[in-house]
Amino acid sequence: MPQKLKEVDVAVIGVGFAGSILAKELAASGLKVVGLERGDSRHSVPDFQAPAIHDELKYSIRKGMMQDVTREAMTFRNHHREVALPMRQWEAFLPGTGLGGCGVHWNGQAWRYQEADFIYKTHIEKRYGKKILDPDLRIQDWGVTYQELEPYYDRFEHLLGVCGKAGNLNGKIVSGGNPLEAPRSREYPNPPMKEQYSGALFRKAALELGYHPFLQPSANTTRPYTNPEGLTLNPCVYCGFCERYGCEHFAKASPQTVILPVLMKNPNFELRTESQVLRINLDCTGKKATGVSYMDAQGREFEQPASLVLLTAFALNDVRMLLLSGIGKPYDPTTETGVVGRNYAYQTQSYVPTFLGEDVHLNSYMAGGASGTVIDDFSVDNFDHSSLGFIGGCYVLCGSTGARPVEFHPTPPGTPRWGRKWKAAVRRHYNHTAIFNLSGTSTSMRGNHLDLDPTYRDAWGLPLLRITFDFPDNDVRMSRFVTHKASEIARRMGAKIVVDSPRTGPFTTTSYQSTHNTGGAVIGADPSTSVVNRYCQSWDVPNVFVVGACNYPQNSSYNPTGTLGALIYWTADALKTRYLKRPGPLV
Amino acid sequence: MFVLVVAGIIVASYLAAQTGTPNKSISNKSQMAVRIVAEGTTRGAVACARCHGFDGASDGSGAFPRLDGQSPQYLAEQLRHFASGARQNALMQPIAKGLNDDEIDAVAQYYASLHAVPFPSRPVPAQLRDRGKQVAEVGDLSVRVQACESCHGPNGEGEPISGVPYLGGQYSHYISVQIQMFRQGYRKSQQMFVPAHNLNEQDVLAVADYFEQASRPAVK
Repeated sequence: MPQKLKEVDVAVIGVGFAGSILAKELAASGLKVVGLERGDSRHSVPDFQAPAIHDELKYSIRKGMMQDVTREAMTFRNHHREVALPMRQWEAFLPGTGLGGCGVHWNGQAWRYQEADFIYKTHIEKRYGKKILDPDLRIQDWGVTYQELEPYYDRFEHLLGVCGKAGNLNGKIVSGGNPLEAPRSREYPNPPMKEQYSGALFRKAALELGYHPFLQPSANTTRPYTNPEGLTLNPCVYCGFCERYGCEHFAKASPQTVILPVLMKNPNFELRTESQVLRINLDCTGKKATGVSYMDAQGREFEQPASLVLLTAFALNDVRMLLLSGIGKPYDPTTETGVVGRNYAYQTQSYVPTFLGEDVHLNSYMAGGASGTVIDDFSVDNFDHSSLGFIGGCYVLCGSTGARPVEFHPTPPGTPRWGRKWKAAVRRHYNHTAIFNLSGTSTSMRGNHLDLDPTYRDAWGLPLLRITFDFPDNDVRMSRFVTHKASEIARRMGAKIVVDSPRTGPFTTTSYQSTHNTGGAVIGADPSTSVVNRYCQSWDVPNVFVVGACNYPQNSSYNPTGTLGALIYWTADALKTRYLKRPGPLV
Repeated sequence: MFVLVVAGIIVASYLAAQTGTPNKSISNKSQMAVRIVAEGTTRGAVACARCHGFDGASDGSGAFPRLDGQSPQYLAEQLRHFASGARQNALMQPIAKGLNDDEIDAVAQYYASLHAVPFPSRPVPAQLRDRGKQVAEVGDLSVRVQACESCHGPNGEGEPISGVPYLGGQYSHYISVQIQMFRQGYRKSQQMFVPAHNLNEQDVLAVADYFEQASRPAVK
């Protein structure tokens, strides 16, 4: 018999960036908040300290910070006619777990989206007409604009201490930054990272070809910085162990470094770790949440009553939780009815391994997670697609996030995959290879969706999330075009070997690409095509708010976290100034 | 003065012994270094050995840092910082200004190549030593300071190629004073800024004592 606990004002499911920030805002407003995190508690000291944290086998290869697949996996298939099978190993994407969530082991690439992204359907149809869209594509407007979100982007960037140089200040293009970025109201809080040698070579070639290179905006702090919460971050030492690792130096912006110490001090907030939320409970009308049920590490079930439930458990888990809880109508791709699970998308990644001569010493192991020189000329709709026959694009990034000994073994095509010749090739190319990283738009498609698997269950007996996804042909064409353009830059750099490697279908889960899973609980103005309204409030259950990349109707070229930060503070504002004053539907 | 003359004679005979044989084991740069260490330069650089000794171990008082086996990149960088004023020190600034670029590199290499025997260290109370070890190896979350060894390496052995100085075997008193220098801005370092500000006096003494006693591997 589950034990029923004393009621609280707010139950937060998942204590990552979204959960931490929303919990802090509401606890500071005087509400009693409980944060339920399924993973362990962990802190910069002692858990992220060197040398133990620099264990590549534990963290990079064996995915030490990720969800335990033996207890909770996901199933996958390309197409709804196939049978989905469980992913027994994380490769393509790496769902995190633990206090701080993915904010602990992300790289810190801190981007904003373009103005066009938030009105994507309107913008594309106006510029090119509907005919440019393949029949199966499903792009949508967000129902909230970039201009409305701008102050919240600013707030999140100052919380993190994002490092960069503005390119567009209130509509005025300023030199040194990205001239193609959406307008920002003020300069970044910290100066950009140091440019790597590969990035400098890329910059020169890109300029010669008429592009506009700049340093990637980064949440790896570049100087001692005290954020508006009073927490100080240290400068990044370019150790090259960023993605998949915690930062020992308090240099990477994570919940642990930018907000949690303040949240933990507030007696209104209570953190419960190793608490696996099973479902959001609804009353008999199905339109009001009464709280959540969760299981602790000893296997005891609890019912936590709450007036308000915030679902901030990472995009994929958020959608699953809605489905398990019966909130919103599940999406059916064959009839195109329902909304939960609809518009699932990803990130269309491609690479251009570039072998420079043996006299060019890159020392790529000196890197922060968001080091790199980048061009925005081919992102989203920054270029004219009129005669190209596809929509979307990629940013092109040259730099490294590290060159760790187990993971980084670049060799040219045709090299044997093991043995003496392989070793010789690694020796020849290790310090002379730059790998361009192209991060591309992922266009939502009718058939790509999330739902509950009919066969496989987790350790708590609940159905696993089923992912049905393949790259739309539009995105494959887009990747081919932009990757080709990137290869031209590589050749301009004087590369000896350029390996043009666009993304091709089918999508497989067996090679790492990105953990930018988006959609499934989409934000919008129309309840028939969205799960939450413009304030991230569930259309169906007004005292449930869902904040994550699951809100994105389609994915832009950029890493989602910066935009999520804007949505987090936008939702916090809506909760404090609207919802708490008058609970109920805000739209 | 007498010591200097004797040292000068020793050095001079050493050099004389070398000139007669076509032995290339001592490069011109090393010869220059030995000369500067023993005699200084005419441009205001006092002989290094006067305070730091020929073996780099100084006099054990902790007033002058141990230089033997230190990262050559670090030594050269610090001399340049003294010369430019980026690192404030009334004693070292005129000395560093009296050295040109080649001379800086030469003396840095000289001391980097040495391996002196550590002076016997005084006993440290167990509580202080344990606390020092804790902060050095693990850090302190309550003051947001990471483990010293995150940058300074296991046992504070340093990272010579990156120019991170060793702390293991360095004089406790010198380490304590340097943290004060970082705190008060006489030395500027982005990486040392927060640790220098956030560690209290007791903890500074504790880590300084811990590192003086930490063993470090023989210079390669």
